[in-house]
Amino acid sequence: MRRLSLRGQIASQLILALVALFVLIPIWTLAYLAFDGGVSGWPTEFRIWPEQFTLGVFRQVWQRAVEGFGYPDMLRNSLFVSGGAAVLAVGCGASMAYAFARLRFPGKRVGLFALLLGALLPPVALMTPLYILLTALHLRTTLLGLTLVYTSFSLPFCIWNMRAAFQAVPKDLEESAFMDGADHLTAFWRVTLPLAIPSIAIAGLIAFLIGYSEFAMGWLFVSKNADVTLAMAISGMLSDGFASWSNMAALAMLMSVPVVLICLVLHRYLLSGLLGGLADSEG
Amino acid sequence: MMGAPAPPVPRRSNRLWQIGAFLLVAALALGLRVRAVQRLPIDYDEDDYLTAAQRYAAALRLGDWHFVFNYDYNFEHPPLTKLAYAAALLPLPDAPAAAEHSSSDPPAASLPEPHFRLARCVAAAFGTLEAMALAGLNPLAGLFLAIQTWQIKYTSQIMLEPLPALCSTLAVVCYWKARGSGGGARSRWLALSAITMGLTAASKYVYCIAGLAVAADWLWASFPTGLAGRSGRLKAIARWLAPLVGWGLLAVAVFILFDPRLWVDPIGRLRQSLLFHLDYAQSQHVKEAGYPIWQPFVWLSGSVPWHPGVFVISLDLYISLLAILGFRRLWNRQRVFALWLVIALAFLTGWTTKWPQYLLILTAPLSLAAAQGFSGSVWQPLTGWLRRRRDASRAPVRQRPRQMDETPVSHWKDVRRALPWLLPGTMALLALAIYPLVYQGAMALTDFNATSIRDGIQGGVWRAVWQGLTGQVRPVPVDLFVSSAVTFARKVHFAGPSVLVQLLGGLGADVLFFNVLWVVLTLSLQAALGIGLALILNRRGLRLAGLWRSVLLLPWAIPEFVGAMFWLRLFEPDYGWIPEGMPHDIPLPSFFADKNFALFVLVIAATWYGFPLIMLAASAALKSIPLEVYDAADLDGAAGWRQLQYITWPLLLPLVAPALIIRSIFSFNQFYLFYVMRPPFPLTTWASVSFYFFNAIGPSGGQFAVSAAINIFTVLVLIGLLLVFNRWTRASEGVTYA
Repeated sequence: MRRLSLRGQIASQLILALVALFVLIPIWTLAYLAFDGGVSGWPTEFRIWPEQFTLGVFRQVWQRAVEGFGYPDMLRNSLFVSGGAAVLAVGCGASMAYAFARLRFPGKRVGLFALLLGALLPPVALMTPLYILLTALHLRTTLLGLTLVYTSFSLPFCIWNMRAAFQAVPKDLEESAFMDGADHLTAFWRVTLPLAIPSIAIAGLIAFLIGYSEFAMGWLFVSKNADVTLAMAISGMLSDGFASWSNMAALAMLMSVPVVLICLVLHRYLLSGLLGGLADSEG
Repeated sequence: MMGAPAPPVPRRSNRLWQIGAFLLVAALALGLRVRAVQRLPIDYDEDDYLTAAQRYAAALRLGDWHFVFNYDYNFEHPPLTKLAYAAALLPLPDAPAAAEHSSSDPPAASLPEPHFRLARCVAAAFGTLEAMALAGLNPLAGLFLAIQTWQIKYTSQIMLEPLPALCSTLAVVCYWKARGSGGGARSRWLALSAITMGLTAASKYVYCIAGLAVAADWLWASFPTGLAGRSGRLKAIARWLAPLVGWGLLAVAVFILFDPRLWVDPIGRLRQSLLFHLDYAQSQHVKEAGYPIWQPFVWLSGSVPWHPGVFVISLDLYISLLAILGFRRLWNRQRVFALWLVIALAFLTGWTTKWPQYLLILTAPLSLAAAQGFSGSVWQPLTGWLRRRRDASRAPVRQRPRQMDETPVSHWKDVRRALPWLLPGTMALLALAIYPLVYQGAMALTDFNATSIRDGIQGGVWRAVWQGLTGQVRPVPVDLFVSSAVTFARKVHFAGPSVLVQLLGGLGADVLFFNVLWVVLTLSLQAALGIGLALILNRRGLRLAGLWRSVLLLPWAIPEFVGAMFWLRLFEPDYGWIPEGMPHDIPLPSFFADKNFALFVLVIAATWYGFPLIMLAASAALKSIPLEVYDAADLDGAAGWRQLQYITWPLLLPLVAPALIIRSIFSFNQFYLFYVMRPPFPLTTWASVSFYFFNAIGPSGGQFAVSAAINIFTVLVLIGLLLVFNRWTRASEGVTYA
């Protein structure tokens, strides 16, 4: 491939700048509202810059965003349900993922197909039975119930992903452990698991992100204001119709910015996690 | 030796078989149409055409030719079909015509008998003849045309469709016969084709689409080659065009002969009736129907939804699917019909008037494509597989080479070793996925809804399903998309698989087709943008590449529903940034009202959200291609496009395929975008529809059973998609067995 000529350089920069505008303009039209103290309902005027620049909106939603509950409360709920879901999914699924990666058992192919199917189901696919099931168990309106629902979204995906992670660990390492007299459990615990930890963490992070940005199921299950998560709060303000768009934009930014930073830093690993196992061609 | 070769099939039995199939199709077509004639309610327009036919009949009886030449009621359509109905009415006594009414009124309550029934029977006869004409060419295609419900409906009512549909099919079939014969037979078939084409034009203009296909195929097939010299070239072109022009002139002559209105003022009246359609396509009446541009495809994705119990068989969705599978075969074998299908689809997509009866301009080639699809994609693989099995069972048993997975260790030992590893995950999956899925399947068989929730939670669902499956109770009817489906009973009842069967039969075709269109549009745009940007970002020597990459990744890092909020903020009609910024004299279409515009906005938003993942995957793939390959290509003098075509693309595609598969399935299941932006129905995915049926707060909500049935349907579709993807990628050892 030849180096870019000057003309090619200019043309490429121009195209990239145009696409960057396409990416950034939608973000900005909402984000600037967060710095604008003047918007109390929805924005009624065409602007490209806040009327009065202020950081007060952020302070306000930090202290009180929905019915007396501020950003830290909702963040705590979000972290509880999505973190809990990630831990449960990874914890319950790790050994099964290892079995799919290394062991032989009947029905493995069908099981793999079912796992992939489960990973690709839409989040609404199981909501009806889970709703009934958790109601029957009197767990429906608790944060634990919501955690279980989010676990159900990410469990097949996590198993599928961790399987790929375990497969990526060279078999020879395990086999040399067997030579030294280790059984599968020891080999898993001492050799394969430590080497697969980064990939497993990525699977967990993806499971976390699924729960972190979910709200539709949340509103079906949670009933107390104290249990509202960040994503639920934002969606609630959106469908309210009278909520301040400044507050909503500020909350959306507070919710998204940490995630965006994490994703940008880890994007290479997240990519292989998202496509985990689909890309590898090991027979 | 593998047994004796099969004896050649005697021609005579083949011929007999064909005649039998032909008669069967004729009988089936006639039977279904007679049933529809008796059962279909009176539709819009039937009173208009019956009135016209009665007037013509009265004038013909009196010999009032002046009336026949000048009757200008419903002048936008040429009179031949109406005259055909009139001819059938001749022996009947006069009857008072139906009252005039505006086109927005509901259809007439009653029409004069037996005139009404007789005219419908004439329509059914034409419809049956069309199925027979097609069956003569290909019995299976005739069968599909006989059972296609749109075809049945509009050839069993007093519409203009039956005669021109028959004539246009005859015109193309005759043309096809002419291409396969020589000498005098060829001229006779061509003359017949031109005559039927003229009759087509004299019955309804839009069916002349078939004539365009004939012209295109004719010119394509006889394109002159090896031209030398200018005069020689002109002569060759003249020789190329002359037969077609002759054919066209004969058709026009027949057209004028059979359109008595044109005998008085041909140019003026033809102009008048053609211009009417252009105006009508822009009229308020058409706009109010609110059909999006893709509506014809929606009609084709399901059976006629309005007349339950009339059509017996509703396989329209599967006929259309087979037609997609068989299109390439049709193109290679009977190109004129493939051209007909393409031109007609393009016309229906572009033309703003979207009445469902227009489908009949393409049902004939559609049926042929479906027949090819059945032979090529179902029948041949099936018989091939059976033959291989038979051969394998005859062949001497040979030791199969064992694969690694099949080493003769007892299963039991494997199971015992794997079981503890599988246990925790299996327990979790049982509780959180498998049991819910089974429960969902049970719910889909009931009428479970918000009113009977208490009974359902206390085991009512299982009770109802048990009672139903053991035959203790009869299923209660549940109709999808009918709000009265909520029965307000406090107990759960068994409903049988009716909702699921309806969904598989193409009910909700508008959502089904939109869901597919959505995947195709968003995936292709995301892939084009993502791969294109990756190619630019990976050029050697590009400045600021890291910065651009980070900026372009942003949409992928932002939660989907926040991204959807950006686009709502941009395009919402009341507070959207773009509507607010637009000058007042340029009105922007409303996102919530204009379906075409809404689709545009949604696709842009989905592209915005989805392209970075593909860009990332493509970038990673590009990095894995060693630069030396390009350097070698440079030395060999291959540059630019050729490098892209022969090096980058083949190496890139298999590595990007997983990202494309993931994105396509996410597109299929897309939910949060639709939840936040709330586009007009039917711009939605099955996932969203299922949510709205479930959500007890919504107007149609609380219908747990319907929601469950939709989810089961989604699972079935996803299994199908995965199997297809799996076949595609089996070369690289597959999606599932990686």
